Amino acid sequence: MRRSNNVEFTKNRVVNVAVVTVCLSFAGIGPAHAYVDPGSGSVIVTTILGLVAAIGYTFRKYFYKLRGAFRSGPNKAQKRDRFDD
Amino acid sequence: MTERLTAVAGSFRDPANRVYRVDSHNSTRILRGLSAVASEEFKRLSVETFFKRAQERGWIVRTKALGSDDADAKAVLADGWTMVLEHEEVPFVSYPYEWSFSMLRDAALLTLSLLESAMKAGWTMKDGTPFNVQFIGARPVFIDIGSFEPRIDGVSWVGYRQFCSMFLTPLMARAHLGLDHLALMRAHLDGISPSEAAKLFRGTSRLKRGVASHVLLPARIESRILSQERDRKAAQIRKVRPQSDAMVLGLVQSLRRLVNRLPAPIDHTDWSHYDRTHSYEESDLAEKKAFVSKHASKHARGHVWDIGCNTGTFSMLCANNANQVIAIDGDHNAIEQLYLRRTEIKGDNILPLVMNLANPSPNQGWAGNERAAFDKRVKPDLVMALALIHHMRMSANVPNIRFLEWLRSLDCDVIIEFVNRHDEMVVKLLTNKKEQYEDYSLEQFREEVNSLFEIVDSRPLKGGDREIFMLRPKG
Repeated sequence: MRRSNNVEFTKNRVVNVAVVTVCLSFAGIGPAHAYVDPGSGSVIVTTILGLVAAIGYTFRKYFYKLRGAFRSGPNKAQKRDRFDD
Repeated sequence: MTERLTAVAGSFRDPANRVYRVDSHNSTRILRGLSAVASEEFKRLSVETFFKRAQERGWIVRTKALGSDDADAKAVLADGWTMVLEHEEVPFVSYPYEWSFSMLRDAALLTLSLLESAMKAGWTMKDGTPFNVQFIGARPVFIDIGSFEPRIDGVSWVGYRQFCSMFLTPLMARAHLGLDHLALMRAHLDGISPSEAAKLFRGTSRLKRGVASHVLLPARIESRILSQERDRKAAQIRKVRPQSDAMVLGLVQSLRRLVNRLPAPIDHTDWSHYDRTHSYEESDLAEKKAFVSKHASKHARGHVWDIGCNTGTFSMLCANNANQVIAIDGDHNAIEQLYLRRTEIKGDNILPLVMNLANPSPNQGWAGNERAAFDKRVKPDLVMALALIHHMRMSANVPNIRFLEWLRSLDCDVIIEFVNRHDEMVVKLLTNKKEQYEDYSLEQFREEVNSLFEIVDSRPLKGGDREIFMLRPKG
């Protein structure tokens, strides 16, 4: 269990640092304008973040499959929070 | 028989459904009218395993479809809807700007958990707002059934931006910057936009978990859009790039991990450790508890408000004989402590809320009534204001008579504790104050009380430094 946490933690930090670096290369935040819907940009945001998140998602999916192959009993991921199904 | 059917003021934004209250003399029903499309969707949703499981666990408000033979349903159908649902009533409607950090975090985690389960079953949510969640006691419940809609393959979660503006940014403002997230949320009812949020995070705080991804990146992209399309330039159509399940689910899961890991340090404030640091000797405290117990539990109560509850010692004392106890304090960390002790609270009937009692939540939102004022939501049966009045007088400068008039306007029994000027806590409050509030005395307080209430019972505490009263409003 501890081992899986470490792997996930390290991977997340790498992803976070990569995203931070990309973002910090941008400069300045502009003012809002009434006729433009800035929220329409969230399609672009979710695409960028989705691509990064998909790497983690796929990694975890195969990691738990692989772990399950070497363990007996049900192959369950660690409970994440109190609302985990 | 329908006595009074009213559309709930805060439910008009989604044209696919509308919530109604039916108030009769002894009960309230909560109904939801659905459009033709929403009706078909609900029929499919109601048989989904994830939906049924979430209802069984109490994560989604218990809901049933009503037949057209129901008189109240008929009245809703006559308003132009195709189908009518009935929801379990939430005893007291509270708003996200009244929730402590962990309450808001749990509401966010519940939303994301339901969204993830829904997505895996081919559904999604059309929004991501904390107003879709209510608390029954200390248990968060998702109430907006109309938010679920069938998911279209390749489309990202449309509620992402709203989730960030209304959940994530306030949570990160508290966790990373130590800001009062409630003031931000009360001021920004529709959420804090990325460009506004980006102004909060400066210097090294930009390196904190989640800030670059969910604040700075969206702010930068939105800023570019604004600069490209400002003035008379035409708005460009955004190309929608199909998103794989891994992208959509991966983003939801990463949000969930982020929210779950946000640090929530509880500082030691005057009130957050009140149960250990209060100024009472054990015998005095026992006497005070006996007085409260005797009068609060004389008969079964509907709603009890414990205003200035600290960490909820007296709220818990009243909980056995009340349908609902609303435990309110202006100190965020005291309420956070009470919420985190929820496993000790039996019966799901203590709702902890953070509120500055000198500035309680007002009517606000569209037309000034979308979100109701705190004291206009439910009529209480009993209000307890224990050792609060000296703070109202000396910290908030509210004259005693004004505070008593407000209590009288609630038209219910009151248990109030007066803290005399010789009490060590009042002496502490007055130290270094130029204004010494010479009108603040037990004699004057009694006189003012007598003009509005009948004193049913009273008892001196702490050797006469304090006095506790049971009051009944005068006709």
